[in-house]
Amino acid sequence: MKTAQAGTLESMDCIVSVTESDKGRGISIVMEGASVARFGEAMVKATKDTLKSLGVRDISVSIQDNGAGDLVLKARVEAAVRRLAGGKAA
Amino acid sequence: MRLRRTKLYLPGNNPNMLLRGHLFNPDGVILDLEDAVAVSEKDAARILVRDVLRKGDFGNCEVTVRINAMDTDLWRSDIETVVPCGIDGIRIPKVENPKDIAIMDEALSHIESKAKMRVGKTLIFCLLETALGIWNAYDIAKASRRVAAICPGGEDLRADLKTTRSENSEELIGPRRIVVLAAHAAGVDALDTVYADITDDAGLRRETEWVKQLGFQGKSVIHPNQIPIIHDVFTPTDREIEQAKKIVEAAVEAAARGLGAVQVDGKMVDKPVVKRAEYTLQRAGLSAGGEK
Repeated sequence: MKTAQAGTLESMDCIVSVTESDKGRGISIVMEGASVARFGEAMVKATKDTLKSLGVRDISVSIQDNGAGDLVLKARVEAAVRRLAGGKAA
Repeated sequence: MRLRRTKLYLPGNNPNMLLRGHLFNPDGVILDLEDAVAVSEKDAARILVRDVLRKGDFGNCEVTVRINAMDTDLWRSDIETVVPCGIDGIRIPKVENPKDIAIMDEALSHIESKAKMRVGKTLIFCLLETALGIWNAYDIAKASRRVAAICPGGEDLRADLKTTRSENSEELIGPRRIVVLAAHAAGVDALDTVYADITDDAGLRRETEWVKQLGFQGKSVIHPNQIPIIHDVFTPTDREIEQAKKIVEAAVEAAARGLGAVQVDGKMVDKPVVKRAEYTLQRAGLSAGGEK
């Protein structure tokens, strides 16, 4: 399975790792980090919104968070997905 | 007149700095896609910078992006990504030739037009980091109406001059003087390079006072702690402001009476002195008329 990653564990950042999934498997998201307990739901929504905008339906996402807000999380998800696809990032 | 006393570099792949840098109140921020970003992270930095720009929360700062140099295959993607976000300008590294600016002008116009933006909105700040760039400073500054400032390089320029950093940066005296001369001849700002030692406040103040005296309008900044020192040097004192107000008011009164020169505090004041006084008020954030 192909995997790609983006981001860091610096303050206000996160590491997003994505692994391709078989067609029909859908989206699975695993998160860890200090903000997950409070903002987990919002993080899942931000991740799913980004995947939807990129047209991704089947993928496994792992997020290690160090205080990234929605904006940074979305940027890192997009970068990881584009790296997985092997295309240009922006 | 836009104050450009300080321009704070913000590493393009660092969310903390990108989102909070403006809170240190520099006159401008430079979101850096070039040297501050590892080659392997250029793609992720470009996305992050784009999203931070779209959020658009920079207070009153002039927002510029340092793109990758025009001898790389990255600069076109850089400007295609950041220009539609409505930035104030781009900072181009290693400019050597007015042709570079002509090419950039055309590329920016194409992007602005496609994004239905005002063509010409995006300003250009030129980094002159080689001997050839310094030599061509005036032609570069005049190569497009977009050019807002030219800036001498630091370490890259030293390397190209086949010299090294000395305590008082004597090796950059000539290039700095050329940049000031070229900038003012072309009607753009002269903005100085960074002061690299972020722990040496006295050295920073000394260098800033010197470049101000040469004719620079500001400096690039690599650490927020440098901002208040540079602002202090470039901001006129209360005494200078009061004197400037007196001179400008006297000149306005003299003009109304049809006189060419006037006396202020027993000294004759003529046109260049009035011009300098007006500039002092502009730097203080006051109009020539003395009002906010």
